[in-house]
Amino acid sequence: MLSWLQNAVAQGAMIALVALGYTMVYGVLRLINFAHSEVLMVSGYVAFRVDDRLLGGYERGGSKGLIIATCVAIVAAAVLGVTIEAVAYRKLRAAKGATARIAPLVTAIGVSMLLQSVAQLAFTATPQKFDPRLAPPMWFVIVAASAVMAALYALVHLTWIGKAMRAVAVNEEASRLMGIRPSRIIVFTFAIGSALAAIGAVLYATTQASIEPTMGTSIGTLAFVAAVVGGIGSIPGAMLGGLLIGLLGELVKSTSYSGMKDAIVFVLLVLVLLVRPAGLLGSARAEKV
Amino acid sequence: MRRVPTFVLLLLGAAVCVGLDLAYDAAVSADRGYKFWLTIAVMCAINVVGATALNIVNGMAGQFSIGHAGFVGLGAYLGGFVAARVALLMKIPLDELRDNLSLTHSLIIFPVVVLSVAAVCALVGLVVGLPSLRLRGDYLAIVTLGFSEILRLTVLGTNADSAKNPITKGIAALGGSLGYRGPSVPGGDPGDFVGIPSVAGPFWIFGLAALMVFLAYRLKRSGFGRALRAVREDEIAASAVGVDPAKYKITAFVLAAVGAGIAGALLVLRRDGPGIVTPANMKFDKSFEVITMVILGGSGSVTGVAVGAVLYTTVFYAAEEGLLQLSRNYSAFADIDAAALRMTLFAAALIIVMLVRPEGLFGEREVWERKSKGGPKPPTSTKPAVATEAEA
Repeated sequence: MLSWLQNAVAQGAMIALVALGYTMVYGVLRLINFAHSEVLMVSGYVAFRVDDRLLGGYERGGSKGLIIATCVAIVAAAVLGVTIEAVAYRKLRAAKGATARIAPLVTAIGVSMLLQSVAQLAFTATPQKFDPRLAPPMWFVIVAASAVMAALYALVHLTWIGKAMRAVAVNEEASRLMGIRPSRIIVFTFAIGSALAAIGAVLYATTQASIEPTMGTSIGTLAFVAAVVGGIGSIPGAMLGGLLIGLLGELVKSTSYSGMKDAIVFVLLVLVLLVRPAGLLGSARAEKV
Repeated sequence: MRRVPTFVLLLLGAAVCVGLDLAYDAAVSADRGYKFWLTIAVMCAINVVGATALNIVNGMAGQFSIGHAGFVGLGAYLGGFVAARVALLMKIPLDELRDNLSLTHSLIIFPVVVLSVAAVCALVGLVVGLPSLRLRGDYLAIVTLGFSEILRLTVLGTNADSAKNPITKGIAALGGSLGYRGPSVPGGDPGDFVGIPSVAGPFWIFGLAALMVFLAYRLKRSGFGRALRAVREDEIAASAVGVDPAKYKITAFVLAAVGAGIAGALLVLRRDGPGIVTPANMKFDKSFEVITMVILGGSGSVTGVAVGAVLYTTVFYAAEEGLLQLSRNYSAFADIDAAALRMTLFAAALIIVMLVRPEGLFGEREVWERKSKGGPKPPTSTKPAVATEAEA
């Protein structure tokens, strides 16, 4: 029972890490960053390649090698996230009118498809795996993910830049008048969100999933659902949503419907959206005329 | 300009489609390598049906649906099931059934397929459209994605071994990840399937594509189409002048679902078709393809989207063939992943179109409408006052 619970919470913690990236970007930009799952996938590849090719995998690098590889992946993910923002989203932000919300969404889907197929070209579709001896124990996953989330919470609530992030999320125009540069805050948000995805990717890839071009879609989808269920735009919501999805997944796994695990997650998503369109902890805003 | 009566147009269209059917058969029997281009033409027509349907909900009504593949897949499974069942009821011999069926057989089977697919998809479209009353923009997109993923994952995750109750057994009969090949042969082995009959000849495929474009164009130019655009531009303003957004949004969803279902049925029942439906038909990639066609052509423009679908499909297959030739002749290309390369190109193209020309090739104009001089100007009444205000 205890190990089951530990497993479920670890799952939830990993999902939450990735979900935070979706929710933070949505908070400041009102954009579902579909490319986030592909940032996760690419950082998984970066960590794997650096560990495997440069640091000699488990034999020569050991867990120290994995930590270095993770750091490289975090930096790479942040750079990739910022690049995506600059190339694909920034120009569309000025758009006005009925399609202003839809255009970035289409581009985001395009970027996601692009990264996925480029990864397939570069790394082939063959799944790759970390040495199973590199897998951290489940308690470590929970501790590491919790520590990262606590650090994020501190960043958002205790620092100047966190305050600026929250200000941009509430009202971009007003925060501009207060001397905040929203474009810088947005870049920073993308960097932080992508870095969290990299940590999630390494934890996932070492403990269970293999690294493949479609890895982002399978994990990212769960995280995305978690972010929406918890209330997209809300940081505690993403954590709660991740935990819920983790528990639900492990519960379903122990029944005879295990094959339909992901389908049930989506049923939960649709139900939550219908009852509470803004998610469990999200705040509903009235549409302004 | 006097308007041609609708029934004359329909009769003319039917005659042209019979002609196309005969021309297709003649081209196949000539056996001079036309097959490749014929396949492209057929796929173009099917994608025109699917993209035109998506255009009604995405372009005209402005409700962003990214679960189109769910409806296409639903129509594909349902179409395969109904066609095989009706063919069995008609006692068509198995070897004949597994070959391309004659036009006379298809004249009985295919209308039944279209009607049943349309009925079921309309119902499902209604259910999926209902959230559009509460959710907008990206939230709605998520629900439509959720719908198609639920369908796909349910079929994918249910196989004969894990099925215990009647419901899961019914789903398991769809073959899980292996795909659906029609019902089992009556009195045969459990692993011996009837197969999905290829009842949709060129007559049906080209005919439905033309009909779909025609209907969508009439829809756009009607009061209904104007109301859809009003809802798209500003729901609050639309309801203030007496247009009920709920009614129009849901109807758009239902129409799009019916069109997508028919496209799905054509996809599996087409002549020389795959004879199998797999959950991969409902993957998000498929929705993405149709979205690309609509955006590329210009969402809201009926003929523009048709051009987008034809362009996308032709480039898609030509690129496949080209890459195949390259990898055969040059060893440097031998182990390149053609599908991934193609996807890279299309994704990059979509991003560039979105950044450089977000309104697509034609914007909301039809192909023959020009901003510059020459060509008939669109009647002023087709542009609602709300739309012009919002664009200004």
